[in-house]
Amino acid sequence: MSDPRIHGIVLSGVGGQGVLSLAQIVLEALRRSGLHALQSEIHGMSQRGGSVHAQVCFSDLPLTSPIIDEGCADLLIALEPLEALRYVAMLRRNGQLVVSEEPQADMAGYPPLDDVYAALKGVHGCHLVDTEELARRLGHRQAGGMALLGLASRFLPVTDEVWQEVITQRFESKGARIAEKNLEAFHAGRGLVHEPVGS
Amino acid sequence: MGQSTLALGVEAVGCAAFDAGIKGAFGYPGTPSTEGFEFLEAMIHAEPAGRVARWAANEKVAYDLALGVSYAGHRTLVTMKHVGLNVAMDAYTNSALTGVRGGLVLLVADDPGMHSSQNEQDSRSLAEFAWLPCLEPSTVQECYDHTLRAFELSEALQVPVMVRLVTRLAHCRAAFVRRKTLAPTGLGVVPKASVQDWVLIPSNARRRYLDLLAKQPRMIQDLSAMNRFLPGTGRRGVVVSGMGRAYLDQLALEHPGLATFPRLEVAAYPMDPQLELAFLAQVDEVFVFEEDYPVLEERLSLRGMAKVHGRLDGTIPRTGELTPRLLKDALGLMAAEGRAAINLDLPLRAPQFCDGCGHVDAYEALHGALRNLGVPDTRVFGDIGCYTLAAQEPMGAIHAVVEMGASISMAVGAALAGQTPSVAIIGDSTFGHSGLPALLTAASSGVNVTVVILDNRVVGMTGQQPSQALDQVERMVLGMGIPETQLQVLAPLPKQHEANVKALESALQHPGPSVVVFRRECIQSLRRGVLKDHDREEKARLAQACSSTEVRS
Repeated sequence: MSDPRIHGIVLSGVGGQGVLSLAQIVLEALRRSGLHALQSEIHGMSQRGGSVHAQVCFSDLPLTSPIIDEGCADLLIALEPLEALRYVAMLRRNGQLVVSEEPQADMAGYPPLDDVYAALKGVHGCHLVDTEELARRLGHRQAGGMALLGLASRFLPVTDEVWQEVITQRFESKGARIAEKNLEAFHAGRGLVHEPVGS
Repeated sequence: MGQSTLALGVEAVGCAAFDAGIKGAFGYPGTPSTEGFEFLEAMIHAEPAGRVARWAANEKVAYDLALGVSYAGHRTLVTMKHVGLNVAMDAYTNSALTGVRGGLVLLVADDPGMHSSQNEQDSRSLAEFAWLPCLEPSTVQECYDHTLRAFELSEALQVPVMVRLVTRLAHCRAAFVRRKTLAPTGLGVVPKASVQDWVLIPSNARRRYLDLLAKQPRMIQDLSAMNRFLPGTGRRGVVVSGMGRAYLDQLALEHPGLATFPRLEVAAYPMDPQLELAFLAQVDEVFVFEEDYPVLEERLSLRGMAKVHGRLDGTIPRTGELTPRLLKDALGLMAAEGRAAINLDLPLRAPQFCDGCGHVDAYEALHGALRNLGVPDTRVFGDIGCYTLAAQEPMGAIHAVVEMGASISMAVGAALAGQTPSVAIIGDSTFGHSGLPALLTAASSGVNVTVVILDNRVVGMTGQQPSQALDQVERMVLGMGIPETQLQVLAPLPKQHEANVKALESALQHPGPSVVVFRRECIQSLRRGVLKDHDREEKARLAQACSSTEVRS
């Protein structure tokens, strides 16, 4: 029997980091996997370096709500650590958090980084990723987002072939090399040792 | 199932307009409506067949352009955000009296919760005010289907039809199935015999108003298939529209008990009073889930037939966006057991000026000039655009932002009341939108008002759409009656800071009205090369004009 439950993924970050683009990749991958999926995004003013967040909801059955309730998200993918903390309350009890360690601290009142990391480490199911190091290793400055998606993909009902197909198509207009670079970042993320740090 | 298209709700409306065979599409950018026009514009660009898509100088102009297309006998779409409809309201309400020839559909995107707007007004109220039909979809597929239906209704009833979206649906991305695309064939211009219907002099307008009121029963009848009463069981009922229905349908999958409630589903206004009475006769208690104003709730409450819960009785907060959580709370469903709150103060991350944005240099120059003149505590009137970000601390450089074009008129008003100097700051596109008439008044005011126009050559905030004021700002300023000696054009660059401060000081000290234009292209549009072709063509045109002058001399 089909499960009527709505599954939710929250994606968060800072304007310009590619949150919405990542959300569209997730949406397309879920759809190609035979699931019903909707995406909700809030943008406009948020394009100018403000907080950006998107949600992707999916289910075995047709669904009508593009957003989920607090405490209902299965997965939170955050491109920035403070922007992860903002949405932790969206996660359900055994939901997973995949978050970049790299702060975008160009704002008033950014808390001490140690406090931010300490708070993240207190989140059950938190996977902190050193995207800066990973980007350096891959020689691809913008590898972070795709690497996070790669790690997060372990928690999503999408096969490697589908991810490969969707990511390739997403970037092919920018040339085969860009598509390859993104796939490489995705696979690097997928292959990361991912023992959650959160307790 | 046919081939499906993946798009935003607001894009599905644009796509439906294309498939409905429109001849012309018009709009003014504004979140969350912008992508609807852009999606349609791209479709038309790929397959013109005589169709046109044009951004207009403002929403009223856009609406009148659409009305002209309708007059000529063709289908047309006009798009705007909710507050844009205020600007177009004169055209909208009066077009109810003229009626339409070709189908005219107005897409309005409301912004409950004010994600990127200055208020959360509900366009359903404005449709009711104008005695016009309004359709309200709940899903992306309905955005498409209802828009097609809106064109049919518009022609059947000979009135404009509004399609009202809210942010959550406008920016919901989902798959929808298209129907076949109709060619943009027309009905022909308004026939001679009907011309008087379009001439709203009092004698005609009185007749047309009666005609409009006489159309109301037919409107209700033609719309009735879009509203449903599902009897259900029990004496507790729900009334749902728009996202309220989307959220309730989703909840009902997990809580099947909800599906048995007597339910009134509303997707079209005006609603049949008989439907409402039939529903109310079945229930003692009603929950109303609608987005924005308590439009349906108030109407049902006034019947006094059942206890009605919603925003008016505090079951749902009076303001802000509807959410699945608010439905759960209202219905007494258990909320999910979430995570403990993070024990850390999380400051808001507000949007900021882009690195290297010319607006920042302009504000710094203004700050320097005001300081040098010893009036650092003056009040500066701002306007709507990226430059509104300067209202935030630590900049705190503008002290009022109300609506498009308000900066200039408010500064003149304050100057008339004795404020010296009085400063307005407005972007080039906003200036073209509604700053022009204000500057006309400013020019004849004789008071010391300094109007700073930040000309970044595009509509920056909504995604660098072309500005109607492109390359025209000085001519527009002079045309409004500002003397040439009181118009300065400056480059907002760090290296020009001192010169810019001096120029502003002289403008601020001038006893009459003066204008300072800061011109530097938006760095986002520069990066994307938005104006590359335009500038190349303009340069070539100028070169040719010069060489032909030389030949003649």
